[in-house]
Amino acid sequence: MSGRRVAAITRRLMQQFRRDRRTLALLFVAPIVILALLGYMIRGSSSVPAVGIANQDQGPLGGMFASALEHSNLISANTIQASDGDAKLKDGSLAAYIVFPSDFSQRAQAGTIAPEVHLEGSLPGTSVPVLQALQQALASVASSRPGAGLRFVPQVDYLYGGRTLDTLDYFGAAFIGLIVFFLVFVITIVAFLNERSLGTLERLMASPLRRGEIVLGYMLGFTILALVQSAEVLTFALAVLKVHNEGNVLLIFGLEALMALAAVNLGIFLSMFARTEFQAVQFIPLVVVPQFLLSGILFPVSTEPKPLQVVSDVLPLTYAVNGLRDLMIKGADLTWPSLQLDVGVVAGFCVLLVAAGVATLRRRIA
Amino acid sequence: MAEAFAVDVQGLKKSFGGLRALDGVDLRIRPGEIYGLLGPNGAGKTTLIRAIVGLVAPDAGTVMLLGRRMPDVDNLRNVGYMTQAAALYPGLSIAENVEFFAAINGADKGVDEVLKLVQLDQRRSSVVATISGGMRQRCSLACALVHKPKLLLLDEPTVGVDPQLRVQFWEEFRKMAAAGTTIVVSSHVMDEAERCQRLGLIQFGRMLAEGTPNEVRARAGTDNLEEAFLRLAGDGVVA
Repeated sequence: MSGRRVAAITRRLMQQFRRDRRTLALLFVAPIVILALLGYMIRGSSSVPAVGIANQDQGPLGGMFASALEHSNLISANTIQASDGDAKLKDGSLAAYIVFPSDFSQRAQAGTIAPEVHLEGSLPGTSVPVLQALQQALASVASSRPGAGLRFVPQVDYLYGGRTLDTLDYFGAAFIGLIVFFLVFVITIVAFLNERSLGTLERLMASPLRRGEIVLGYMLGFTILALVQSAEVLTFALAVLKVHNEGNVLLIFGLEALMALAAVNLGIFLSMFARTEFQAVQFIPLVVVPQFLLSGILFPVSTEPKPLQVVSDVLPLTYAVNGLRDLMIKGADLTWPSLQLDVGVVAGFCVLLVAAGVATLRRRIA
Repeated sequence: MAEAFAVDVQGLKKSFGGLRALDGVDLRIRPGEIYGLLGPNGAGKTTLIRAIVGLVAPDAGTVMLLGRRMPDVDNLRNVGYMTQAAALYPGLSIAENVEFFAAINGADKGVDEVLKLVQLDQRRSSVVATISGGMRQRCSLACALVHKPKLLLLDEPTVGVDPQLRVQFWEEFRKMAAAGTTIVVSSHVMDEAERCQRLGLIQFGRMLAEGTPNEVRARAGTDNLEEAFLRLAGDGVVA
């Protein structure tokens, strides 16, 4: 064991890193970016689920509950008509609505507190604060009106999914698309970079091949692989994991295929900005992780801080995740405007990336 | 082809940052000629060849290939280009590599013929990742030849090729030139320079001297081509 020889290796590594600014930036900037984003998303989350309150109670108790809920910091409550509730759940403006029926006070006299809770049901994590807010309201109402033997029996009703939906059902739908998207992206970016580092791209450029032909050829090749992968992932999720699915399997496959296509083109496009495979791998934490966090897969976009919602709204993955959830949890079909938007945005992103890939693939090196 | 020159380069300039890689190069090569580009490392030989195929955009000057102004993508089907390092797909077999380059250049046959030419027909199914450096070089040459280009640009084609095969390569180049193919070869090896019909010596991005091997020797006042280049290159430093 020679300390000098060990030191030589360590010194050489430091010298290499000093020249490789990009890697240094990644080492020291990426963790801060990712943690800051995560911290902001969770702590800075100003928006709480929007909850509609419809008070039809002929007695006083409904009003007391409603005012307690309006003061809750777990939800953002506003008054609605019970008949508008389902429509507002469908268009996404409400995560839940609570109805205090006309006999609410009357039944409370008999010892039963039974508000009707209508949950949207497809968003993970929003039903918990709604029920918590109700519990708090109950506690504050009960303390001002002491009475014994009150039973709290909310009538919970789900627009989509329901009690049977477990965590895998919420995340599975979105993950099916994400797995394909990320794996295809990584494979494409590395393959295209190989073409550069081997010098074969230079040979292609010195042939009659058009840039568009190169991008299209790559796209078709990787799309074939991606389609087989998508089919495999989908089959496994539905047949083995039995992920909840309300939608048309072919539509799900179609949206997955679109995501794969986008991933191929993103890979080709970003490979233009990396010189080595090493640098390409660095795109994963910088490009992929923030997209993953902001896509709404873990935290619904509607509960993100407002500035992040703007970012989420321009990321194509957000639409893909939303589309897959619409399909699998809500059973959407192509007549739904929200699904049309999701599919349209993902498709538009594909077209944009093909154009960007062709434009950045320079025939001339300098 | 009725044009007077297969390659007609005028006033070509190219800088990379502060480095003047090409500093006003003129180059005219007649159809069927074997032209040798010589010069020390970093002289601009590779940049010149890359500018001729259109991989480098010149700052000034023009390139005409086979009578057509470059860049012209379609004209590239008449050009064969062999890069300095054997640029091949390591996961494909020898034959698959050659077939690929045939296909992108619009040739649907000629693979067997060119594999025989570089003596790889016995190894056609070998995966490139597993073959020797010399075989890769031969495979790379086959990829540049397979579509029977009218103009062949070879950037140090015989590096790593054994002397016996090198003689065969040159025999083949001579036959192709006799059949009308124009060949531009960059080289360090002086016995290869001897086989060229005309030579150009490049240094500091400029054409220092041009002529047949005999003319070059006469101009330097020596019988030895290597000696001649050292002398002319020495003059170049002074100038």
